[in-house]
Amino acid sequence: MAAQVARKRQQREEYRRKIQEQTERGETDVASVKMPQKRYFRQRAHANPFSDHKLDYPISPAHMDWASHYPAFVNPDPSKVNLGGTRQLLKDVEVVDIGCGFGGLLVGLAPILPETLIVGMEIRISVLDYVRSRITALRLQQQNLKRIAAANEGSETPSETPAPPAVEDDEVGSTTTIVPGNYENITGIRANTMKFLPNFFAHHQLSKIFVCFPDPHFKARKHKARIISESLNAEYAYVLKPGGLLYTITDVEEYHHWVLKHFKYETEEGETTPQRTGGIRDLWELVSDEELEADPCVRVMKFETEESKKVTRNNGNKYVAVFRRKPDPEWPAQ
Amino acid sequence: MAEFQHPFQTLKIVTRQSNGHSGVLVAAAGPYLYSYAAKSGQRLAVWPKHIDPSHTVAALPTSEVDGQAPPGKKIKLSPVEDGADNGSVPSKSDSNGSLTTWTNIPILLSTSNGNHVVAMTAEDKCIRVFEISEAGEFSLLSARNMAKKPCALDLTADDQIILCADKFGDVYSLPLIPGEYVKPKTQAKKTKPVATPLTVHSKRNLRSLEQQHLQAERAEKTQEEPEEKTVLNFEHELILGHVSMLTDIVAVTLPSTEGNHSRNYILTADRDEHIRVSRGIPQAHVIEQYCLGHTSLITKLYVPPWAPHVLVSGGGEGHLISWNWSEGRIHQTVPLDGVPEEAVVSGIWGTEVKSASGSAQVIFVAIESSPRLLCFTFESDYTLKFHSHLQLSGNVLDLVTSGPNGSLIASIDAVREQGAGGSWRTSAVSPQTLAERIQLELSSGVLSISAGQDSITESLNAAGTSNIPATLDAKQRKALDDTLYNLGNLRKRTFDD
Repeated sequence: MAAQVARKRQQREEYRRKIQEQTERGETDVASVKMPQKRYFRQRAHANPFSDHKLDYPISPAHMDWASHYPAFVNPDPSKVNLGGTRQLLKDVEVVDIGCGFGGLLVGLAPILPETLIVGMEIRISVLDYVRSRITALRLQQQNLKRIAAANEGSETPSETPAPPAVEDDEVGSTTTIVPGNYENITGIRANTMKFLPNFFAHHQLSKIFVCFPDPHFKARKHKARIISESLNAEYAYVLKPGGLLYTITDVEEYHHWVLKHFKYETEEGETTPQRTGGIRDLWELVSDEELEADPCVRVMKFETEESKKVTRNNGNKYVAVFRRKPDPEWPAQ
Repeated sequence: MAEFQHPFQTLKIVTRQSNGHSGVLVAAAGPYLYSYAAKSGQRLAVWPKHIDPSHTVAALPTSEVDGQAPPGKKIKLSPVEDGADNGSVPSKSDSNGSLTTWTNIPILLSTSNGNHVVAMTAEDKCIRVFEISEAGEFSLLSARNMAKKPCALDLTADDQIILCADKFGDVYSLPLIPGEYVKPKTQAKKTKPVATPLTVHSKRNLRSLEQQHLQAERAEKTQEEPEEKTVLNFEHELILGHVSMLTDIVAVTLPSTEGNHSRNYILTADRDEHIRVSRGIPQAHVIEQYCLGHTSLITKLYVPPWAPHVLVSGGGEGHLISWNWSEGRIHQTVPLDGVPEEAVVSGIWGTEVKSASGSAQVIFVAIESSPRLLCFTFESDYTLKFHSHLQLSGNVLDLVTSGPNGSLIASIDAVREQGAGGSWRTSAVSPQTLAERIQLELSSGVLSISAGQDSITESLNAAGTSNIPATLDAKQRKALDDTLYNLGNLRKRTFDD
């Protein structure tokens, strides 16, 4: 048993080293840029958000090094640096996927919002490593595709289109076409957002937050670890700009009602309360079904994340609730 | 040989603005509250009145030293709870008569009108509100047991609401004087598994789901009542929360400015380096600002009454920060000279001294397990300027402004040796030094700060507190130490994962 575990670990390490080398070499052949394989990045599905993980987080949003994450968006003026001493970007990060898992939503959103910087945050270290490798591979593939396209344009005689790379068992997600944004607008960060969200994002910085298939923490005793709660919703409201959207999707019906309750759109007894005011309800408005129909992000959330595909495979249900951040209420008169 | 006595863990002055009645000094030592006439130092009252001396030994904690475990033994306190039969008496003492469960009182507050004192007894997590009579007698109005350990309390500006910040990061609001409480009807919900075969898939999970269903069925058949959750049986509301242990809370009011009414805020500090600025009740869910800049746990917040837009915060990193908290802006990072790296700030206080030639505002900073106070002057540009170290005769536990212009009283731990390490002194001196006088003097613009005894502190020392039994073993002593010195333990221990 122990030998098996050790062997597995060794295989993982070797595999990751290979991936690392591919990145460093800057592989130039599309077919040989391999997408990472999930099986080498598996990790237990739950992480304790209350424990003191060894985490890297900036002292404040103004200290965050985003330049290394979005090299294509770095301000060309090298004198523009942030409080942490790293280069500034041309624009702020505006979309966050909290608990991004293996990064399906990021990859799905990237071409839809090509000019928007999107970040996935994930507490599980191995899973985040996968996301980073995946994005690096996608960017490399895009660069190669662009180079081939440019060469073809020059010669006027189309060379043979590159053969689609051979897909190995669970290696998925290679692209064979050039997509808007070239995946330069997405990245992943290891973080415990329940504790450190305000370290990454300033007041009213974000326009969208996604919470897709969150860990349901079924046991009542574990409910405090849920990523949606009244207290945390106040924090999401702090980082979202008025008009910004918070998207939630879950396959657990009870969790869907938990979400509605914690935005005060439902009472403890399960009654819906469209007219209610006061408390956290002042800050959020439930988005109508018609509007959701028209939102391409909802489609990505419903069908392109890893978890949503799994739910589809298992004939599960998907419950969507999206909330719009209202402007802060007036101060009470005294 | 004299026995050691419990030092004062907390001090508060109860000011009486009306009718020229002089103030009352309230102090907590061991399981007791004491009141003294602030003018003379004469003891007025003790609460609780009847602790059977034969049980005081048992009162000392004998359990695990990590402070998490329940206290090992309980004090027997018969008539104490009598005043609190308004339905908010803890259910524990209901069921077994008169057992109470605390060995110390780490938090004390007083209302600005001087009529009430709020005390938190540690092990039973109980918030107790007392009325203070003219003669300084305590009468217990209510006793409310919180579900999680309160770490800090404050009162709103109108004295009507207690804000309770707890170990699990939540802040609850409780009315100072609880009214009639109608328990919301919660139908005894049958716990049914919420997972379905649509949401769990692995063999193992499916099997355990099946087990849960079986169990639920069995429970239904046997009409088993599900275990009742511990519900707080008094009015309380969750108003905000961090996902981190809270260490301090301050309610502040910014005076009205042109076009704006005065505004209430709540500042909360946590173990993960955050200071959050929220609006006051009823809009505490609106976060206005985060003050980010600390790189270690934060332990104390202080907002000077003379400059309510300034916040001085300190914790475990060798400096303080002076903030413009409403803008999240740092005025100054204030170095704590001569303070070792592993030290933690255990208290920040401020006072004003006036003289014919002017006035000075002074900030005092205590380091956990240190007999040396750091004294700063508060400058007009909101920065702190180091003035001097003030050496006291033992570790400083608390400080309170009391007495004539520029006078404070410090509570002193004369049980343990000075400095960190916590070894006990070899023998007790009678009377034990419990309090020391700190005197500020401002003459022709020069501020001097001195410490010593005066008739009031001597009177406090002479009256004494309750004895610590001489028979304690090392473990019991350590448990007692942990009631007074526990901030250093909050430092984060990170692990690889």
